[in-house]
This record gives sequence, C-alpha cells and structure tokens, in this order.
Amino acid sequence: VLFNSYEFIFGFLPVVLLGFYVLGARHREWALLWLTAGSLFFYAWWRPINVLLIAPSILINLGLARLLERYRESNPALARGVLIAGIVFNLCFLGYFKYTMFLAGAANDVFGTSFTLTHFILPLGISFITFQKIAFLVDVHGGRVSAFTLRDYALFVLFFPQLIAGPIVHYREMMPQFRAVSTRFDSENASVGLTLFFMGLAKKLVLADPMSQIVAPLYAEAAKGGHLGLADGWIAALGFTLQIYFDFSGYTDMALGLARFFGIKLPVNFNSPLKATSMIDFWLRWHVSLTRFLTAYIYNPLSLKWTRARLAAGKPVFGARNTTVSAFLALLVMPTMITMFVSGVWHGAGYTYIVWGLMHGVLISINHAWRLTRPKIWPGAKDHPVFMKSAGFILTFVSVVVAMVMFRAPTVSGAAHIWADMIGGHGVTLPEGLLARLGSAAHWLRAMGVQPDPTSGSLIVQATLRIAVLLVIALCLPNTLELLARYEPALGVRPAKQEPWLVRHARWTESPVWAVGVAGVAAAGILSLGQLSEFLYWQF
Amino acid sequence: MDHAAILAKLTELFREIFDDDNLVLTPETTAEDVPGWDSMNHITIVVETERRFGVKFNTAEIEELRNIGEFIALIEKKTS
Repeated sequence: VLFNSYEFIFGFLPVVLLGFYVLGARHREWALLWLTAGSLFFYAWWRPINVLLIAPSILINLGLARLLERYRESNPALARGVLIAGIVFNLCFLGYFKYTMFLAGAANDVFGTSFTLTHFILPLGISFITFQKIAFLVDVHGGRVSAFTLRDYALFVLFFPQLIAGPIVHYREMMPQFRAVSTRFDSENASVGLTLFFMGLAKKLVLADPMSQIVAPLYAEAAKGGHLGLADGWIAALGFTLQIYFDFSGYTDMALGLARFFGIKLPVNFNSPLKATSMIDFWLRWHVSLTRFLTAYIYNPLSLKWTRARLAAGKPVFGARNTTVSAFLALLVMPTMITMFVSGVWHGAGYTYIVWGLMHGVLISINHAWRLTRPKIWPGAKDHPVFMKSAGFILTFVSVVVAMVMFRAPTVSGAAHIWADMIGGHGVTLPEGLLARLGSAAHWLRAMGVQPDPTSGSLIVQATLRIAVLLVIALCLPNTLELLARYEPALGVRPAKQEPWLVRHARWTESPVWAVGVAGVAAAGILSLGQLSEFLYWQF
Repeated sequence: MDHAAILAKLTELFREIFDDDNLVLTPETTAEDVPGWDSMNHITIVVETERRFGVKFNTAEIEELRNIGEFIALIEKKTS
C-alpha cells in the first residue's frame, strides 16, 4: 500500500499513531517495538512474501555487524573481510532482483543468446534499503556505530516513512532520535507533520499525476518511432521533468511529515533543484541523500585513492591553481563518471538510465572544467553576478530537462527521437484549431514553415498552461523547507540568514490562516485519492 | 602544533586551493561559508592537509570534516 490511499491515511496511520502513544505512556520501548512491528506490517501489506526476503537479510546483516563490532580492532584483516563480504552480499541481493532481467537481455543483445526469464517483481524499496544496509556496515566498521540491538537495527531498516523511497538515512543520525523520542502527544510535531504530509499529498496527486496523462502518450508514440514535432517534443520533456519533480518533492514532503508525527526528523532530500544555477548545485538539491551516499561511499574513496597514488608518484593533483589536464581527467572526470554511472544503474535496470547517468557525469565534469578555467579566461566574471547566475540557471535547466527525456523514454532511440523533435528535426506543426484562432499571426507562422495538423489544439493549450503553472510554483515560490524553516522540517534545517521577501511574509506559523490553508490543501489531496497513480520513485 | 599554528597553515592551504588571498578561516567556518568547497575540492583539501601536516585520515573521518574546527581538532589529535 502507498501513502496516497484511503487505507493508509484513514486506517494504518491513525492505528499506528494511537498505539504508539498508548503503549508509550507505559514504556518507551513498547512504543518503539510497536512502531517496528507496524513498519513490518506496512512492508508486508503490499506483498507478504517480501517479509520472507527482508527478514533473513536483516538477520544476516545484523550478524555481520556484530562480527565487525567484535573484531574491528582486534583483527582488522578479518573485519575487512567481513565488511567486503557484507557489501557483496547486499549488492548481490539487490542485483539478483533488480538486474537479472536486464543482464540477461544485455547478454542476448551482445552475444546473440536467447535467455528468457519470467519477470519477477522487485521487493519494495530494495534499492534504498540496500544502500542503508551498506552504509550501516561501513559505519560499524569505521567505529562510528556501536551497541545496537535487533530492534534498533530492524527499526532503522524498516521505519515506514522512509522505507519505500528514501531519504537514504544513516543509522547514526536516526538512532539518537529514536532513543530520545517522546511518546507524549506533541501539538507542534502534529501540526508540522500534518502540514508537510498534506502539502506532499497535494503535490503528488494534484500537481504531478495529471501531468502523466499528458506525457505518457507522447513517450509511447516516440518509442514506436512516431514524430511529435517541436511543440509536443518540448511538452514531453518539460512535462515529464515537472511530473517527476512534483512526484519526488511530494513524496519527500510526505515522508518528512509522517516521520515528524513520531517526533523524528529525516534529512533533507529535495530542495528546489530546478532553481539550481549549476549542475553541481543541482545535485546538491535533487535527491540530496543519494548524492550524499554516492559521494561518501564511491566518489570520495576513488578520488582519495587516486589522489594519494598520484602524489606518491610525484604527479600533479587536482585542485590548486595549476591543475593539469591529466590530473583533471584522472582525479575528477574518472571518479565522477564512475559515480554517475552507478547512479544511473541504481535508478533502473536499463540502457536509458545508464545513458542518463553518464550524461550527468559529463555535465558535472564540464561544470568543474569551467570553474577551473574561468578565472584564467575571464577574470572579470565575478563583477557580473546577475548575468553569471542567470546564464548558469538557464544552462542547468535546459541540460536537466534534455537529460530527463532519456530518463523517461522507454528506449534510447525513443529519447533520441524526442530530442530530434525538440530541435525541429521532425518539422514544426501546430493544431489547425489553434492556427485558426491566431488570425494574421497564423500567416506569419505558415510562412515560416509551421504546418497545420488536424487536431483542435485544446490538448496543447491545456498542457502548456499546466506546464506554466507548475514552472511558476517550482521556480518562484518558496519550498516547504523554507516556509517551515523555524520548525526544523528536516534534520538540521534552519532559517536562512536572509530570508527572501516571500518567505518572510508567508512563512508557516501555527495560525488560523495557515490552518485553513492546509485544510484546503488536504481536501484537494484527499478528493484526488483513488485516481490511478504511482510513485515514479518507488520502483527504484 | 597548537591551534593558532594549525589554523594559520590551513588558511594558507585554503587560499591556494580556492585562489582567494582574502579568504579568512575561523574554527566556525563550514563548507557552506566557502564558495566552491564542494565534494570534489574536499578531497584535494584533505589530501593536501595530509601532505602538509604529515597525517593520514581514514575514509570515515573525511566525510565528517566539514568545518574548520573539526579539522583543527583532528589534526591536533593526529600530530600530538
């Protein structure tokens, strides 16, 4: 079951919360046990067989963690072996479920074999859970986590607000909160939680889902080799970017809100990424907890190892004023491409995700190359901050939108088709119905080569309006983290030193105005429940 | 090495890496305060620090070194 269902909102959630307070009034540990059991139930609800997979995995990981804890100082070689075994075990577990199909298909493509496999369904949230388990083992090995019980570990892995689609949390940021959790009802936690949850629900159901009905047929058409034309090409690209944006933003807000009901603060995961002014900035705002994980466990170790090796060999390293091309390629481009390749593969088993990851790797590398060379080729750029920011924003926005086509398209060639549409490669058409209303402007357009197509134009107008509204919300309005900054909506969030005008005047307070506002948002969300919808991010 | 000496040496290192002779570090300075102190530059900072102070950090420590005070404390611990 998902967060956006009647059963969850009016059944599961109230029961779990009530039990948490009632049992917590007797003993805190009972409340935490209840929460753990509730989370396991949540996991089992969707597909009971999943429990048979997750339970052994939890026990094996716990056993390995105990070995690490015991031997990490007395027998470092053994501890290292256990750590590697643990990482391999978790990756194989993920790999078996997520990539067997893809690898069989890839083998068929390359070697002309004909493996056929029956499709099996991915255990819920397995990609997120796997990363958390690996991070936990690394933390135990590094001595940053100790004294854990089965209940601690099970709650860390299963905590239902972040179970199916993140944020990817660290044990060391969650467990102190669980240990100190208050099981008394707290009105601030409840109102902050309700606000976050319903804002997220509305983003998901009112803003994101209707967009899928607009873009899904376009991608299906392109995958069959059909031509969309310039306008529909851009609608497909922008529409999907905004769909996944509000899907993920909404999901993240809901996760933050649900955790907050229990007094738990999850880390920041989504922070207005489309406002980014560089590709590096984008990845510090989009899926923040994934970037954090990949940086800490893939990028840093690779870059560190190679930087030390180059220093030992007397070769120049990256970073100082005089970075050489070879240092840049070896110490920045290589680890970046590998990290973004992993990011692509993690998002999905398919060539499109790999290409998408590598595209972002190239874009990030270009961003760094520019940072390094800009002071030499244009030292005066610092005097034009507005121009630099605007140019950075536009380049980043277009890059992200273009790359998103690859993320969404069913095949690489389908994405290439849409890119061709977007640069006018398949002609420029507008609906007849629209051209007829444009009067003399239509003559101009026809003279410039715009062809009429036999549709009424209501779809294109509706899509354009939707995209415009969503863009304004994503780019011009403050986000939930800013609005609720005074109430620490996510772990470590504080009000900015200089809050923008809109935030100062509209920020969230426990006031009647906001109560009515949130109630309206909640009503909009609840009334949209039950429509066909799916989290884009939950299948990863 | 004492606090002040470590801070002075770190300041010199940061000024070189970020190419900014006016950069001022305090124990409270965090990654957010220094434009360009991102995950990529972080590795260079760490490795340069290792080289100049003759210390070695492990992977776990590197991730947490996000403010200058922590840097100083860790260097002090490792050089004493």
